[in-house]
Amino acid sequence: MIRYWWLGLVFIAMLLLPLFIGEFWVHVAIEILILGLFAVSFNMIFGYMGQLSFGHAAYFGVGAYATGLLLVKTSVPLPVALAVSMVTAGFFALVIGYFCVRLTGIYFAILTMAFGQMLYYIIFQWYSFTGGDNGLQGIAPPAWLMTASAYYYFTLFIVIAALIVMWFISESPFGYTMRSIRENADRTRFIGINVSQYMLINFVVAGMFAGLAGGLLGPFNRSIAPDLCNWHQSGVPVFMTVIGGPLGFFGPMIGSVIYTFLFAFVTGFTEYWPLTIGLVIVFVVLFMPGGVLGLAQSKFKTLGARDLRAGPQGPIDTET
Amino acid sequence: MKSKTTIIVCALMLLGGFTLAGTGLAAEPYNLGVNLAITGTGALYCKDGVDAIELAVAEINAQGGFLGKHPIELFIRDSHTKPDVAVREAKDLILRDKVRAILGTYSSACAVAIKPVAQEYKVLHIPAISNSENITMVNFSPYTYQVVPNSYMQAKAVVLGVAELAKKKGWKNYITIASDYEWGRSTQNNTVALLKQLAPDLKLTKEFWPALGETQYTSYITAIMGQKPDFVIGSVAAKDNVAWMKQATAYGFFEKIPYPGSLISVTELIVQAKSMTRGMVGLSRAPFFAHLDVPMMANFVKSFKAKYDRYPSDWAVMEYDAVYVLKQGVEKAGSIDTDKVKDALKGATVDTTRGRLYFRTIDNQLSCSSYIGVVADDPKYPFPIYHDLVEVKGPDSWRPEEEIVAARAK
Amino acid sequence: MDASLVFAQFLSGLSRGMMLFLIASGLSLIFGVMNILNFAHATLWLVGAYVCYTFWFLMQDYAFGLWLSIPLAALVLAAIGWVIEVVLIRRVYKRELPEQLLLTYALVLILGDLIKIVWGVEDKLIERPPLVEGPVFIFGMPFDSYFIFVILVGLAVAVGLWWFLQKTRYGHIVRAAVFSREMVSALGIPIPRIYSGVFALGIFIAGLAGAVQAPVGSITLGMDMAVVIQAFCVVVIGGFGSLLGTFVAALIVGEVYAFSILFWPQGALVLIFVVTAFILIIRPWGLFGTPTRA
Repeated sequence: MIRYWWLGLVFIAMLLLPLFIGEFWVHVAIEILILGLFAVSFNMIFGYMGQLSFGHAAYFGVGAYATGLLLVKTSVPLPVALAVSMVTAGFFALVIGYFCVRLTGIYFAILTMAFGQMLYYIIFQWYSFTGGDNGLQGIAPPAWLMTASAYYYFTLFIVIAALIVMWFISESPFGYTMRSIRENADRTRFIGINVSQYMLINFVVAGMFAGLAGGLLGPFNRSIAPDLCNWHQSGVPVFMTVIGGPLGFFGPMIGSVIYTFLFAFVTGFTEYWPLTIGLVIVFVVLFMPGGVLGLAQSKFKTLGARDLRAGPQGPIDTET
Repeated sequence: MKSKTTIIVCALMLLGGFTLAGTGLAAEPYNLGVNLAITGTGALYCKDGVDAIELAVAEINAQGGFLGKHPIELFIRDSHTKPDVAVREAKDLILRDKVRAILGTYSSACAVAIKPVAQEYKVLHIPAISNSENITMVNFSPYTYQVVPNSYMQAKAVVLGVAELAKKKGWKNYITIASDYEWGRSTQNNTVALLKQLAPDLKLTKEFWPALGETQYTSYITAIMGQKPDFVIGSVAAKDNVAWMKQATAYGFFEKIPYPGSLISVTELIVQAKSMTRGMVGLSRAPFFAHLDVPMMANFVKSFKAKYDRYPSDWAVMEYDAVYVLKQGVEKAGSIDTDKVKDALKGATVDTTRGRLYFRTIDNQLSCSSYIGVVADDPKYPFPIYHDLVEVKGPDSWRPEEEIVAARAK
Repeated sequence: MDASLVFAQFLSGLSRGMMLFLIASGLSLIFGVMNILNFAHATLWLVGAYVCYTFWFLMQDYAFGLWLSIPLAALVLAAIGWVIEVVLIRRVYKRELPEQLLLTYALVLILGDLIKIVWGVEDKLIERPPLVEGPVFIFGMPFDSYFIFVILVGLAVAVGLWWFLQKTRYGHIVRAAVFSREMVSALGIPIPRIYSGVFALGIFIAGLAGAVQAPVGSITLGMDMAVVIQAFCVVVIGGFGSLLGTFVAALIVGEVYAFSILFWPQGALVLIFVVTAFILIIRPWGLFGTPTRA
């Protein structure tokens, strides 16, 4: 674990952040955390399992609405609402994932997208329950979390806890089974693993954490809308992961820092954000296929996170 | 490697923070935010709105700004006709650009969405195109002042006219077509409810709800014509309204079926000048030609035409009024402090291009009128306007206070 | 509910289906031949509409203005498609699916903003020529005369594509290339040129579809977003790479829309997605596709 000494530095920096930056940038930091969590959960399916889900926003949105509805219509405390978000999102992931994991490649991508859109339209049309296209307004966090800094620390600790859990999952035998499925699903099947079942479990876990991220978003924004389930929203974690690098655990989080910060920065002086991010993506896809992490690994040979392609290195570990 | 990135990111953020803090201001400008649909369904209406705001701001700044010493700085954001984007842009405007007031939005859903945000951060909010009644009736915010005749007022105005017509022509049943979003729903619901009160014999046989942003109305047109209703009431918005009316005209819809009292703003009159069916009875929110006797309106039309080489639509009129209402609030308060301005505007009487009007205290609604007329050509203008114009005044058409109190109690 | 209403809805569903076919056929062709799912297809369709508007605007004093603008716009789009293929798409043939999808998705964003920059945010309205301004009457029911034109164009494209693929030498080469790139290459036929040509053809059709759509309502930003999902559904339901499948699926989707307005207005889109998901689950290669794909 000493390998990750720099993580400690980052942690301290993040703790001290609100003392040095204006309220606007604290809001940006909260967004980086929430979307980063969303992207890391997406990467469980993409980087680790090797499948492109273009409908991951469905669970993000479901989580957002679960917490949002609970906070607006009942007096359930926020932590409970977040737990409900995770369970609800996990449930939807279970139902949808059941059908999706039987497919791969482009079919998997399109089916996840189709389900995402279905969910989007259902939320959009169900005006009486979800508020439909008006969205849900007036979602208020509890009084002790009303200020930006307070919500920042709250989000920080929850996201860190979630990341730790996901890290352990990814480094467990389950996580390595995922990598093996990514590399060659047939061979994995031959050694007796029920591939579909494993893929489904992974899908559900990823969905749950996406739901947690969504649940955090509602009280932060005070407002949510069905667009959170849209395929455009599904594209956001894909962008972040690709920019940061899909083959490292922290890749999507790095991607979130870059993407969210860029967004806040660019929208300050131009309306042509889609053009900007489109060009960035083209650049990354054509010239930086491993994302920032890939670039870092090839240039510096130091490992911010271990190269996921390799298994455990064994006892000879020069970094420790 | 990652720590390096983090440090650079932190440094950049620090820089950003200091820059923001460092905007120490000499003659303190008045930061005014505009949150309109520059793109999306509402873009058609909003361009005029933005132009009018810029005109008003230029006029006021020519005299030194508010109170002669606070030049207005405009910050314009695109809400994309989406509530969540509107909220994000509102927060941006408030936190990054430190605006004191937000003008806009276009979509009623967006207005309802940013209302609590404006209230939480104590920023004035003047919707000048959105008009769903829900903006002022429920979840009342003392920071929101409405200068548009709201959906109830418009519905009442229409219903008064339509009930008359129905009696005269012996109409029995009707169909509605409304854009499926906040404004469409609010307007259609109010219209149907009021019609039931004033003309209880009329039967609503079917409701059609095309989605916001729908571009193909053929199936709706054929379905409606197939049902052969006595008349149709439409609550279709902005771009959709253009598409709907254009396509329906291609079917000869308006010659076959009476279409009374649906929103035909000055924008539609100008954009569809050639194809619009003359003789239709339409509803408008702030047609400039209805108040040319008011000096403020005459001057506005002249300046707008001079600057932009076109006539102002309802939306231009109301956004212009919004800026000047704000100005009068600042003058009454004697300061640009938002809370003082907010209190000054409460129940205030203000001069607008539509005449001298006042804000009702219970819901901060301006006592502005709705306008019904017959589409007809006029030699003065290159587009048809309304003749036989009936102005239904605000106090005659707004929801009675007891009903608002009851609705809020629920 | 009487027969004339049913007939009227049927006709309107037919016109909607034809529009969808025009958009989806190019998408299906490109995926069928090159295995690239072009997210940007509907955005290029929209560019076609805008380009058609510009041509019409320049020629609006002439009666034939609109009729000439449509094929001109399609040709311009074909050229744009060729350029995009050579500069961008060509680089990702050997890459994995996610990178290909991301590239075309990025194109959606880039082109969308470029449209905004070039044409601005205001709606564009094309005045229809008097020939197609009013309704025609079919069995006493009024029907938008312009849609007769749309249906004719749709049929022409369907027949034209079929004839191209089945009856021309170039079409045979394209179909062979689907089966085996290596063999076609070994015969000395340059594969990159074929791919550029097919991509350009697909975009030509998209541009044509956009130009044909232009006079129907107004041309506005963001129209591509609603359409691209529907086009995907059509291609999935019909089967990737199957022209017949795309045609049939487009008509089905169009009719589902037209009739659901009468019974379950909010449900049209949800229904389409349910059908799409259903097909993907039980028969991923679509109604008329072949299982060897993907």
